[in-house]
Amino acid sequence: MRIVETRKVEDCFDGSAVYAYRFDTPWTEREIRALGALGKLEFFPDFPRPLFRLLGEGGWQMKGVLGEDVCKAIYPRAGRESIRQRFEQEYSDPS
Amino acid sequence: MQRVHASNIGDPIYLNNAATSWPKAPGVPEAVAAWLAQPPHDAARSGSITPADPAADCRRLLARLLGDVDPCRIALTHSATESLNLAILGVGLHDGARVVTTCMEHNSVLRPLAHIARTTGVEVRIVGASQDGVVDAEDFAQALRPSADLVVVNHASNVTGTVQDVGLLFALAHDVGALTLLDASQSAGNVPVIPAAMGADMVAINGHKSLHGPPGVGALYVREGLDLQQWMVGGTGVRSSLRLHPAEMPIRLEAGTPNGAGLAGWAVALRWHAREGHAHVQRKAALTATLRRALHDLPEVRVYGGHAADDRVGIVSVNLRGVQPEDLGFALEAGFRITCRTGLHCAPLAHEAIGSAPDGTVRLSLSSFTRPEEVDAAVSALRRLSARMAA
Repeated sequence: MRIVETRKVEDCFDGSAVYAYRFDTPWTEREIRALGALGKLEFFPDFPRPLFRLLGEGGWQMKGVLGEDVCKAIYPRAGRESIRQRFEQEYSDPS
Repeated sequence: MQRVHASNIGDPIYLNNAATSWPKAPGVPEAVAAWLAQPPHDAARSGSITPADPAADCRRLLARLLGDVDPCRIALTHSATESLNLAILGVGLHDGARVVTTCMEHNSVLRPLAHIARTTGVEVRIVGASQDGVVDAEDFAQALRPSADLVVVNHASNVTGTVQDVGLLFALAHDVGALTLLDASQSAGNVPVIPAAMGADMVAINGHKSLHGPPGVGALYVREGLDLQQWMVGGTGVRSSLRLHPAEMPIRLEAGTPNGAGLAGWAVALRWHAREGHAHVQRKAALTATLRRALHDLPEVRVYGGHAADDRVGIVSVNLRGVQPEDLGFALEAGFRITCRTGLHCAPLAHEAIGSAPDGTVRLSLSSFTRPEEVDAAVSALRRLSARMAA
């Protein structure tokens, strides 16, 4: 999977860092399960729309829905840029 | 085999009506579209002889909604925020003046007040509230001493649905000679807003929430005898030969091209509300009560507002134990296609009072058009999320 579009999203809180990403392909169950390597994965396959949430090291998190090509990532204040760059780098390689 | 989810799980459920209502009243989209599809006609500005005048219709219908006030005392604006700014900046607060307001206010009140406090010598006192969001009259009376020039009170909280005893608070304000401004953003269309009965010198209203009009329309009622200072002046389309902006209401407070399409839609919505609004609000209140009771019964769910929340307002704010509001809102929207609002709802101080600071709540807000099966679906979703996500 590769990120094809990135957008910073504002929320209620000053100084928060929320980003929405669009990928070149939808999230499959295999791709979601693979996220487990990046942190603690919560996956709810039995919900009407199966959603997942990844709690990464350093307090960042990512959320999405099986079958959709978007996700939302929330980065903590501490180490924000390096975590964000690592995540975006992870999904920048077309291979 | 890869699981591919079915994206079609039924219609999305919209429970974010306290932000802006959807759907709109019957005929509103058509009225807006019709206005945009034709050349605009304005008797004052173009020589047209068309009798249609959505602005006059809105003024007349709003005047009736406010207990048969004089329509000329209603300035049409683009939002409740604009109305509140016109009022707060227009009452002529001077260095040393005192304003009393409450912690339940929206930022459309708190920020203009913070702005004038910072840029002038105006003192702003903010009165707290109980955990149910109720402002205590004794605390309020104390804050009014030794004097106050302006009082601003939120009629119905956009966080909890709590309706304040405005009549009492404004009577206390008048006792010390203060002017009174009511923010009726969440109450107009749901509960009676009668300035004369409440002692409100000014009332700010929007069109796009419980009055089911389009966004971009609002109103400010100003009682007879109170002349607000003009801080936004310019073209009015009438009396263009005058060097200064006309002084009489309502154009005293109206400058620039009005939102004709929005007003055309709002007039339709206000007519619908006059005919059918009361019955719809009663139905919404019953559904809100059902939702509130059902969520109270879920042990992991905390419901805010207590008995003070007025079901007619249609707001139920909750949190799930151990779950961030943003996470719960995401799960409702992404997992169950239920649109709600998470966070502070632009009323940051209210959360300190009700115990939901610093992260806020998940707000489910119903409209006159919310269906019972949509409320059932929301309860069912929160029951499942409670079982799966609560700490």
